[in-house]
Amino acid sequence: MKTTIKTTAITLVMLFATLFTTNTVNAQTTEKTYIKIVVDGLSCPFCAYGLEKNLKKLKGAKDVFISVEEGYTTFNVPKESRPTEDELKKIVKDAGFTAREISFSDKPFTKDEK
Amino acid sequence: MKNKMLWLILCTFWLVSCSDNKSPQWTFKEQIQLNDISPIGIASDGKNLWLSDPDKNRVVKTDLKGKILEEIPNLQRPMHIEFSKGKLFVPEYLTDTIPIIENGRRSFLPLSSKLNAPASIAVDGNTILIADFYNHRIILKKGDKETIIGKEGHNQGELYYPTDVAIHKDLIYVADAYNNRIQIFDKQGNSIQVIGEKDNINVATGIAVSGEQLFVTDFEGNRVLIYDLDGNLVQVLNNRFDKPADGCILDNRLYVASYFNGAITIFDKRK
Repeated sequence: MKTTIKTTAITLVMLFATLFTTNTVNAQTTEKTYIKIVVDGLSCPFCAYGLEKNLKKLKGAKDVFISVEEGYTTFNVPKESRPTEDELKKIVKDAGFTAREISFSDKPFTKDEK
Repeated sequence: MKNKMLWLILCTFWLVSCSDNKSPQWTFKEQIQLNDISPIGIASDGKNLWLSDPDKNRVVKTDLKGKILEEIPNLQRPMHIEFSKGKLFVPEYLTDTIPIIENGRRSFLPLSSKLNAPASIAVDGNTILIADFYNHRIILKKGDKETIIGKEGHNQGELYYPTDVAIHKDLIYVADAYNNRIQIFDKQGNSIQVIGEKDNINVATGIAVSGEQLFVTDFEGNRVLIYDLDGNLVQVLNNRFDKPADGCILDNRLYVASYFNGAITIFDKRK
């Protein structure tokens, strides 16, 4: 009897642990949309910070990062607030640039992908 | 005899005129590598230097060798700063405000005009000028009165992404950055001169005006162009800049702040 209870308890603990881990992973990978924009002519910090300013106005935009030297920006938004490519192109254009390439991902961009 | 005297007088007059018109030249003194600062703006309080470091959202005070003496954090992308009468004026690019810092206390410049990315400020007595980058204009504030100078465009009198502004002897000098030129306005907002259009400037980012010269940092061209106040190019400095963003004069020395390599390059004046 004791062995059965022990086995059941261990099984339940493992089950909960598995469920919890899966939910956590899902939360990390599905709640946000990660966006990377490669921008032509992004060499001037005045324009780069202007782009940052405009991107921060997007609903829920967080972790806006701009690489002036390499000419790209990355940031994330809640999945339900994901902007369209056209919206992003307009933001980039209003900041004085042209968006060359726009990528969306469920995971953060790694340094190599950046 | 009379003719000889006349010639002598004319020659003396010519020589004196030439020597008066000779604009000072500048020679490289040294380059100081800053410790983890990427400066966009540089100003002097008469003794030390102030540098804006927008990548780190701060302004720092350094001695003339680049040693950090003081840090003012929590500024949202501070750009071309100004120090005047004990007050530090900081255009905050992200918040569209101008904090004024005096003895550690922060207040804000009251403005009725709505800014969009203030890039620079110049202060002369009760006259204040602001380069309003995304609105392609300059705000001239005198007391409560605000006058708009310039509008978006490429013709004379129009501006295209102005990044710096200075005032000297009642004239307003504007770094008309993406028109690749300097424009001079009077206080009524009339454009009275354009400088540098033939000099292949590749983004005129920063300007400084001394008693007799105008200094222009050519950000993408990695140069500093020096003009006399009539607009004649008198010298080009090419010394080891990496995206020079701004300059200031202190005690006959020119200090140029470079953004990419985080350095200050110093030049001495010689006649």
